[in-house]
Amino acid sequence: MKALVRGAILIAATAAILMIINAQLAKSGAQSGGNTLTVYNWGEYIDPDLIKQFEKETGINVIYETFDSNEGMMGKIEQGGTSYDLTVPSEYMVEMMREKDLLIPLDYEKIPNIKNIDPYFMNLPFDPDNTYSIPYFWGTLGIAYNPTLLEGQTFESWDNLWDPSLKQEAVLVDSAREVIGMSLNSLGYSLNSTNLGELREAADKLKTLSPNIKAVIGDEVTQMMMNNEAAVSLIWSGQAADMMSENEDITYVVPDEGSNLWFDNIVIPKTVKNIDGAYEFINFMLRPEVAAQNADYVGYSTPNVKALDLLDPEVVADERYYPDEAARDHLEVYKDLGLEMLGTYNELFLEFKMNMK
Amino acid sequence: MERNGKLPKIYLTAVFLVLYAPIFYLIFYSFNSGGTMSHFESFTWEHYAAVFEDKRLIVIVLNTVVVALLSALISTAIGVMGAITIHYMKNKAMRNAMLSMNSILMVSPDVIIGASFLILFTLVGIKLGFASVLLSHIAFSIPIVVIMVLPKLQEMSPTLIDAALDLGATRKEIMSRVILPFIKPGIFAGFFLALTYSLDDFAVTFFVTGNGFSTLSVEIYSMARTGVTLTINALSGLIFVITAGLILGYYFISNRPKTPAAGVKR
Repeated sequence: MKALVRGAILIAATAAILMIINAQLAKSGAQSGGNTLTVYNWGEYIDPDLIKQFEKETGINVIYETFDSNEGMMGKIEQGGTSYDLTVPSEYMVEMMREKDLLIPLDYEKIPNIKNIDPYFMNLPFDPDNTYSIPYFWGTLGIAYNPTLLEGQTFESWDNLWDPSLKQEAVLVDSAREVIGMSLNSLGYSLNSTNLGELREAADKLKTLSPNIKAVIGDEVTQMMMNNEAAVSLIWSGQAADMMSENEDITYVVPDEGSNLWFDNIVIPKTVKNIDGAYEFINFMLRPEVAAQNADYVGYSTPNVKALDLLDPEVVADERYYPDEAARDHLEVYKDLGLEMLGTYNELFLEFKMNMK
Repeated sequence: MERNGKLPKIYLTAVFLVLYAPIFYLIFYSFNSGGTMSHFESFTWEHYAAVFEDKRLIVIVLNTVVVALLSALISTAIGVMGAITIHYMKNKAMRNAMLSMNSILMVSPDVIIGASFLILFTLVGIKLGFASVLLSHIAFSIPIVVIMVLPKLQEMSPTLIDAALDLGATRKEIMSRVILPFIKPGIFAGFFLALTYSLDDFAVTFFVTGNGFSTLSVEIYSMARTGVTLTINALSGLIFVITAGLILGYYFISNRPKTPAAGVKR
């Protein structure tokens, strides 16, 4: 009994000491003054030095909170209970949040630096006229492959994936829109197709791909490619960049028939408390030198035209990260197809996974 | 066992190797200057320096530890009381109902528990942050403690209490001198299990963090977009060393030779 009480007191004391240390740390980190801005972003998706710089310039104290999925983020915003001033959803989530009335229309009077964004990335179907969102990073879906493990195959076309010599060599990301969309693109259809005939055709074509598939997996794709465990993968450009920085042999290509163009975007959600601070932060992030430094840190493609001049020319000239006009014409952004259609995509994808040999 | 005394040792070593290999793999790459976990370039301390430079990360780690300690402590107290109550219930139907309710909490998915806590806290008006995380961790740890303590109570012979009563023990003394000492191993097991549950829980915690308060698991899971950094490896290495140090320290303290001068025996 005595031992139990003693143990309990010891634990409580330890916790109290740690809390005091923590309060001191948090205090020394924060700026004086009650002006705070809460940014809700993906983890490691901003250069921490930029946050420090912003705090120095404005005197606003930034609280940086993180989420791991669009859906989780939306759940938190929808429920309220915490005051997020800014968040960074993907394009389909911008559309969903707009429909649920979770976003605040942006006042461009307060964001003069919007002029630095490439017009090509503005006014897209998921947010006409950019009423609610500003592109933060963008990228494509394509094929990352390792020529040293292959016998000279190239991937100008999606159809090259079906090459019989690639037996058990390819890994796919575990995502219905991506895989079915890839098959639709290979047939020359739109990756937003809602035509059941086209979808059936795409699903049937996928079945013939199964001998080449080694695995359908999530985040592990990057590791497998880095360690030369897989030679070919269907993957987003961001992850491909990670692979290439680690394994020099790997290269990335967006096939000619076209592919998906994805975005993560800055929005101001309904939970905003410090709207002026939010505009200041957005405007700050749109500065060419800030956007360039951020792109350099995160390693994704920036939509900021002026920032391109400040980045490593080699990177900017790299078709894999910044495809030229001609290649861009074949890229499509995912549209929200509605729940029923999404169900159809998921069913077809499941059917494909179950039939894999 | 005498004749093949080597075999169990070899087996045990193999099991420990399998268990510890991933941890050492993590720690090994925390010294890698390359920046990822695929091939080792050269030795560096930079990731450890990065841990100490990153004030935000240190605050998050301390948050995590504080929440784990307090939630384990409080849920152990409540859980032990609950287990004793359930065990000595006269009404059998009631007892079974209680046990089933406890089991339901054990098996329900974390995501659902987390989401319902979020709804509850926002309805009641509890601000998301330290309090909400602590409360939810206490809540999901209680059933674990109950499950750990109940078998010990069932093991205890009822004659033990009868004997204590015959010897003139009061109800309070029975509790403190008979029941609690007997179930102590269960209490400790429950406490440490609650501690580990709290330390690595992501699904529930994600929903109830907010207003600048975050825990380590939420932070690490959120790195899904760009990959986990080696700073986290370095942090894992530090946590491992500190934990090992605490366990060794405890071992030496509890095994130290007892000198008669160490205090009056009671």
